[in-house]
Amino acid sequence: MMGLVLGIETSCDETAASVVGEDFHVLSSVIESSIDQHRAFGGVVPELAGRAHVATIGPVVRRALLDAGLDPLNPAILGIAVTSGPGLIGSLLVGLSAAKAYALAWGVPFVGVNHLEGHLFAPLLERSELEWPLMTLLVSGGHSLIVLQSGPGEHKVLGETIDDAAGEAFDKVARWLGLGYPGGPEIDHLAQSGAARSLKLPLSMTGDDYDLSFSGLKTAVVRATEKQRDLPIADVAASFQAAVTEQLLRKLRRALEYHRVKGLALAGGVAANSALRAGVTELAQEFGVEAHLPAMAMCTDNAAMIAAAGTYRLRHDGPSSFDLSAAPNWQLADVS
Amino acid sequence: MNIVAIETASPACAVGVRTTAGVEVTRVVNDGRRHTEALAGAMKTLLDEVELRPRDVNRVVVDRGPGLFTGLRVGIATAIAFSQALGCELVGVTSLEMLAGGAFDSGVRGTLVACVDARRGEIFVQSFLLDDAVNALDSARVTTAREIVTTWQANATSAAFTGDGVERYRNEFEYLPLATIIGQVVPSVHAELSLGAVRSPDEVVSPLYLREADAVANFTTRERPR
Ligand SMILES: [Zn+2]
Repeated sequence: MMGLVLGIETSCDETAASVVGEDFHVLSSVIESSIDQHRAFGGVVPELAGRAHVATIGPVVRRALLDAGLDPLNPAILGIAVTSGPGLIGSLLVGLSAAKAYALAWGVPFVGVNHLEGHLFAPLLERSELEWPLMTLLVSGGHSLIVLQSGPGEHKVLGETIDDAAGEAFDKVARWLGLGYPGGPEIDHLAQSGAARSLKLPLSMTGDDYDLSFSGLKTAVVRATEKQRDLPIADVAASFQAAVTEQLLRKLRRALEYHRVKGLALAGGVAANSALRAGVTELAQEFGVEAHLPAMAMCTDNAAMIAAAGTYRLRHDGPSSFDLSAAPNWQLADVS
Repeated sequence: MNIVAIETASPACAVGVRTTAGVEVTRVVNDGRRHTEALAGAMKTLLDEVELRPRDVNRVVVDRGPGLFTGLRVGIATAIAFSQALGCELVGVTSLEMLAGGAFDSGVRGTLVACVDARRGEIFVQSFLLDDAVNALDSARVTTAREIVTTWQANATSAAFTGDGVERYRNEFEYLPLATIIGQVVPSVHAELSLGAVRSPDEVVSPLYLREADAVANFTTRERPR
């Protein structure tokens, strides 16, 4: 038995709210982004993100309730789920404070949700019945992890990045090449017309574990392009994208060889990358498991995934108390 | 009218409730916990004490600054969400007005300079004339203790100074011969309730930062042609 849960997400530059119901059915999902304010700086400016959240949080929540057909003054919800970490502290605080105030006003429970666990619930938003276990590659501007999920809310982090996140590496290389922000879509687009083997980049992270690293690739791109100034930018983009994808798929392949799973899932903003999507689909076919590539709206940061994870957490752990702190460095491995 | 007042512009977190029947309770939570952890629980406790349910609240008043940026965001996000959830009125007041109101309530008359510690060696400041009411003499701005002291030295008139900006730079302010220092660290929530009760409600309340985000400031300086 599940009721409606209002999700609130403000961990980075998106202010998002959503109402999710029975079987993780998404009744509404509203997202406002302050990304236009950050473009000039080539990355999210925490103070600007915090300021934007204060301006948008009220209207975004109101719209999510109205879109779900609920009375914004007396919504029939079971509870509120809010991202309490990891993320930018000044951004997290806005959503967390608002969630507590809504909970107090309506007399409903609220629960703090780990943003990364939220991403893991994204495939359930499209299909409430999944075959477990699931191997998930979670790659975004802030995180890169390989996670073994034995069921909803049950996960083991097999490996994660030891330096930059995958999306961060795309941003940095894009900035180096004089492309726009965010870098992922720009590089992906350019790579379509480039030759992936024109730039020789080193294989990285060839060890026996599942850890990832992208900082070395970024440095290699910088060195190579400094040496060879006439390299077509599309070729550089294609080569870099191929090297990132190669590393991710190599680690995923290894994970699939050692762990018997029923499905392979992609989550996080970098899941938009066309080469990665194609590679994951192929890998899933090869291992005879189902590929879960959620729609982009569910891969990137949204509040529906927070509502879904919160539904689970409310039922299994119960509500949080009003003195809950934001946890900017909350590791997925520490969620239980 | 049942009013809830929220103050998070200073390092402490303070809450007040005034009921239609005229009962008033205020509380300053200053036990090292931060605003996010303290605020919602304190609101619940105070409402319980005066036996009000959240939905009995008619108006929320919030300190919109100037003050601590993260504190302001916690207080204002809470005020926005709480008032919106209940469909009640929302009013923003400034920390400098609250300091002036607090001094007025304690009997101070004449010229009052309200000073909020802005960190990084700066102060948010505004001057008021307290006679039979609190009247602003200028608008809020950011400056240094040194500049304030120099100005008032040149004026050679008496004035009272209050706020955590004064406490922070007490040595400099004590140097002024005609100055009276009114000890007041947390802007007065009692004054906030009184100010908020008589204002017309705001459609939108946003923080009064009085300072650009660092990145923007650095960026414009960097890009500016020399
Ligand atoms: Zn994310």
